[in-house]
Amino acid sequence: MTAITTNKLSKSYGGVIALRGLDLDVHLGEIFGFLGPNGAGKTTTIRCLLDLIRSDSGTANVLGLDPQTDPVGVRARVGYLPGELHLEDNLTGRRILRYFSALRGRKLESDNVNVLAERLRLDLDQPVKNLSKGNKQKIGLVQAFLHQPELLLLDEPTSGLDPLVQQEVQGLIREAKAKGATVFFSSHVMSEVEAIAERVGIIREGTLVEVANTAALIDRAVHRVKVRFQSPVDTDVLERVPGLAVLSQDDLDGMTLQVEGDMDGLVKALAAYPVARIETTRASLEDVFLAYYQTDESPTEEE
Amino acid sequence: MGAEFLHTLVRFRGRILAWGLAMAALGLVVVPFYDVYVSQEEQMLQFIENYPPEFLAFFGGMTAINTPAGFLDSQLAMLPVILGIFAVLAGSALLADDEESGRLDLIMAHPVSRLSLFGGRLAAFVAATLAILTLCWLGFVLPLRGSSMDVSWGQMALPLLSTFAVVLVFGMIALLLSMLLSSRRKAAASAGGVMVAGFFLSGFANLNADLKPVARALPYEYFQGGFAINGLNVAWFIGLLAVSALFAALAAWLFQRRDIRVGGEGDAGWSRPRFLSKPRTEKLST
Repeated sequence: MTAITTNKLSKSYGGVIALRGLDLDVHLGEIFGFLGPNGAGKTTTIRCLLDLIRSDSGTANVLGLDPQTDPVGVRARVGYLPGELHLEDNLTGRRILRYFSALRGRKLESDNVNVLAERLRLDLDQPVKNLSKGNKQKIGLVQAFLHQPELLLLDEPTSGLDPLVQQEVQGLIREAKAKGATVFFSSHVMSEVEAIAERVGIIREGTLVEVANTAALIDRAVHRVKVRFQSPVDTDVLERVPGLAVLSQDDLDGMTLQVEGDMDGLVKALAAYPVARIETTRASLEDVFLAYYQTDESPTEEE
Repeated sequence: MGAEFLHTLVRFRGRILAWGLAMAALGLVVVPFYDVYVSQEEQMLQFIENYPPEFLAFFGGMTAINTPAGFLDSQLAMLPVILGIFAVLAGSALLADDEESGRLDLIMAHPVSRLSLFGGRLAAFVAATLAILTLCWLGFVLPLRGSSMDVSWGQMALPLLSTFAVVLVFGMIALLLSMLLSSRRKAAASAGGVMVAGFFLSGFANLNADLKPVARALPYEYFQGGFAINGLNVAWFIGLLAVSALFAALAAWLFQRRDIRVGGEGDAGWSRPRFLSKPRTEKLST
């Protein structure tokens, strides 16, 4: 069973198309990172899953329920953090959390609230109007995690937070997963996604262009290799190796190469040369992400 | 629904106090003034006779101003418009304010149905309006003890019930328009326009009978004013409540079917029918 399934989900705002037949599967119990630049359709996807907006066509399924026919059932099992968090300015964090708990038909569990607030270094007794963006974000995080939902939909969860609290949020996400929750989150912080997401999906202009295991996606990425030879060499042979490109030649005995996929071809080609030193730079998720957006056609579409 | 009702009612508390005390103050001034009026009736009648006849006609002739009903009618003529300002602002903001500021997004992500949220807020709006009118009523009945105005406490409630029914229609028009138009301000301005137009049309209809059919289409025409102390027009009262219920039902129907906007999306404007719209590929801030 999947936690989230969308089938050809489409949504437009007037004449602007936000989602174009999105097909997505998020497995139960996984941490799924949803990547894309502003306007790619991340927030629209999340809001369709909660029935805050209605898709034009296609279907969505969340924890076995259709958000359009049973929105209350879906929301009862989901914790949501919006990308742009707005709260009542005159209320304190505690009052807001009490109100949200009442909407769930529960009383505010003070012990849990205090533990979460302490971990996120949040003062719950300050009016929201006195809080910084980061501290407001912490209230949003507390309300999302508080009732220990089966599914967390987090839109830019660490936006506006300092690095220490970002680490704490990553810890909360991992703990939620350890307790069996599914986490679906969008982020622009690639290092964060790389650190916690087991799988990532990359969305571009409303279409999912890639879904893969995070580590495998990075392994498939383009790597840069700096090679220094013991003596000047003829690089013609290297340029003929599939997946290998010479980016620059520093001098007669040094060059920078770009390797797509695994290194086997490069290693075998270099065996014929007197190599003094090899330096490889590990690709990051950011490199992978940028690769999808710096070319006209994504790798998936080329295939 | 209960949680939303209580929360919204608490948010109304400042406005209940401000509007209620202001309306009560009106009563505390108006009722003792009746005794001043009665003691100087001749001069007052002479003074009123000097008004331009058009002015007197606009306010219904002021023929019975020397009776408690006529006196109260002259003093309460503007009450639905004054309290209507509260109703229009509160009705248009009931859902649209949170939506425009981006707060509704997170509220609606909780396990509460749209109908339940709508019902909770609507009930709080009705309760707030009644609370304001109750404070107003207290302002009118407390000075009765030392006054020569021969009106019971129950009778004094009847003009305010008539006010409630009219004001409720204004509030529901504003609520409905906030679901139809692209911003709360447009909804408030349009509903306010209906309210003020009704007041003036009703007055001008006393000068020009041709305007009567138009005035009858607007809620203010069914405001009984001070004459309600002689007996509430139940048909008008129920009719106004029924119109309010109809507008509220339409607003609820629209709210259940529309997308919840988030703060920052801005004013969506009037959208063309889909068959006239050409899909574009520009990126949207999502």
